[in-house]
Amino acid sequence: MGILRLSHVEVRVPDLELATAYYTEVLGLIETAREPDRVFLKCWDEHQHHSVILRFAPTYGLEHMGFKVEHEDDLAAAESLVESMGSTVKRFSPGELAPGHGAAVRFDTPSGHVMELVFGMQQVGNMLPRMNPAPRPQSLVGIAPPRVDHVFLTAEDVDESTEFFQRFGFHLTEQILARDGHQLATFLERSHTPHDIAFVTGPNGGLHHFAFWLDDWNEVRTAADTLAYHGVPIDVGPTRHGVTRGYTIYFFDPVGNRNEVFTGGYWVDPDFETITWTEEQMGRAIFYYEGQVNDRFFTVHS
Amino acid sequence: MGIFRLAHVDLRVPDLDLATAYYTEVIGMQLVEGDEESAYLKCWDEADHHSLRLRYASRNGLDLMSFKVEAEDDLAQLERRVETYGYAVRRVSKGEQVGQGESIRFETPSGQLMELVHDVEKVGGLLGKLNPSPMPVGLPGIAPPRMDHMLVTAEEVGEACRFYMDVLGFRLTEQLLDGNGHQLGVWLERSGTPHDLAVVVGPNGGFHHMAYWLDDWDHVRKAADILAYNGIELDAGPTRHGITRGNTIYFFDPLGIRNEVFTGGYAVDPDFPTITWTEDQFGRGLFYWEGEINTRFLRTHT
Repeated sequence: MGILRLSHVEVRVPDLELATAYYTEVLGLIETAREPDRVFLKCWDEHQHHSVILRFAPTYGLEHMGFKVEHEDDLAAAESLVESMGSTVKRFSPGELAPGHGAAVRFDTPSGHVMELVFGMQQVGNMLPRMNPAPRPQSLVGIAPPRVDHVFLTAEDVDESTEFFQRFGFHLTEQILARDGHQLATFLERSHTPHDIAFVTGPNGGLHHFAFWLDDWNEVRTAADTLAYHGVPIDVGPTRHGVTRGYTIYFFDPVGNRNEVFTGGYWVDPDFETITWTEEQMGRAIFYYEGQVNDRFFTVHS
Repeated sequence: MGIFRLAHVDLRVPDLDLATAYYTEVIGMQLVEGDEESAYLKCWDEADHHSLRLRYASRNGLDLMSFKVEAEDDLAQLERRVETYGYAVRRVSKGEQVGQGESIRFETPSGQLMELVHDVEKVGGLLGKLNPSPMPVGLPGIAPPRMDHMLVTAEEVGEACRFYMDVLGFRLTEQLLDGNGHQLGVWLERSGTPHDLAVVVGPNGGFHHMAYWLDDWDHVRKAADILAYNGIELDAGPTRHGITRGNTIYFFDPLGIRNEVFTGGYAVDPDFPTITWTEDQFGRGLFYWEGEINTRFLRTHT
């Protein structure tokens, strides 16, 4: 029955070795496959083959984002939907796009991003046995988040992007409205969480950040220690969002893509009534404790 | 489509005033409405009318467990499936029950009365939908944001498990097997969490506990402080489950009904490969740190 959650992000990195070292040793992701130009990574508790792909490229940014669908038929349904909106869709057979990858469709979004829907990615297992498993593995390094959580993009026309994603069954959980009523930022979900994807006003095709789930606020504190130990530049936090209620740290990977660690939030029913933030409360909406947003948060993206 | 989470638990209590005082002041739920016979309560972040109904009766027990379905059509579809399986279904029309519209009710193979409901009265969470703070301040008691799951007992866990899976669409995240491969306990979900409903071996119709979600381990610690302050009898914990990976405290309400506070766990996709626990590891499965079971936990239920 449609899109389940964020599956993976592919990010461009101008230094593949440096980026791989950071994502495996500081973030603590696990390398599952490697090609000359691409490295495939997953978080420890994920079963699927990869959730982060690093692609060697002359600049940074988002190459594409993938969402997991529940049934193979969902791919055909999405294909019809996109074509009915006048856009073209490319279909890919399992393994065609990447090692371990499932069947997929790809198309462009109104915000200029490449979106993929994927079914049946190879299951490689988490790091625990299926019989009598311990609650967590002991050999983890770095921050070691259990999974990816959401992606946050920039779009020139947030209203248009939001409507596009709502047609795929995403629910609008929160929105920040400008004084004239247009959407400055929107937060959308398929997984009963506050967001799987979000948009903020900015250039089309931009990546604001992608986020990793942590189990609780204490893990956020430990993550701050790990980031500081490795000299990773922290953008904001540890602090709390008004929007999503999440606890957060923003920081940059060594090639300039923004990362987040995130925990908290709330449960979202399909009939959840959208929360609205007004522009004059934007500070508290983004960073609840400080009540103001640093300029870098709005101006820097990849 | 179909069931997506626990809606409410309906309990019998021999002292309605005492039970209401406990659930409002120690647990910290809100009394939505009540009369001489019954009380309807909700947690602060729940938007639906109630998640707990207390009904005065000469002895304690479970009246029914109610689950929420995503679409109105789901009721008719699931009604047919339950009837085809051989259980009579009763339609409860709008106006018969406080705080909700039409529902269906039926006995389950594990002997509990089950309800499915779509149309519930929305009373809203405590925070509002315009520039809300991330949490309310000044709530009494533990103040969990929402109800999480429940555990019932059954003579034939395998039969009950087949019913919940094949007829109602629950997915099996974890199971406890005896030496002959029979299921002694099963953990089932519809909400992408480790469990919405669990069944362990015991008398048909038995109720083991219902659990409240807490945001993190620090909230579990505070809950222990509040329980101790109020002289509440702890059953087990604070500790950690091997099964579900949750952090937990078990305790009894003043009428002897077991409650739990719960946090943690993991994200569950529909294709999640089931985790199996063997009987010799049941101690760790249940209470991971202690590695052994208190017999009260297995023998005492409602």
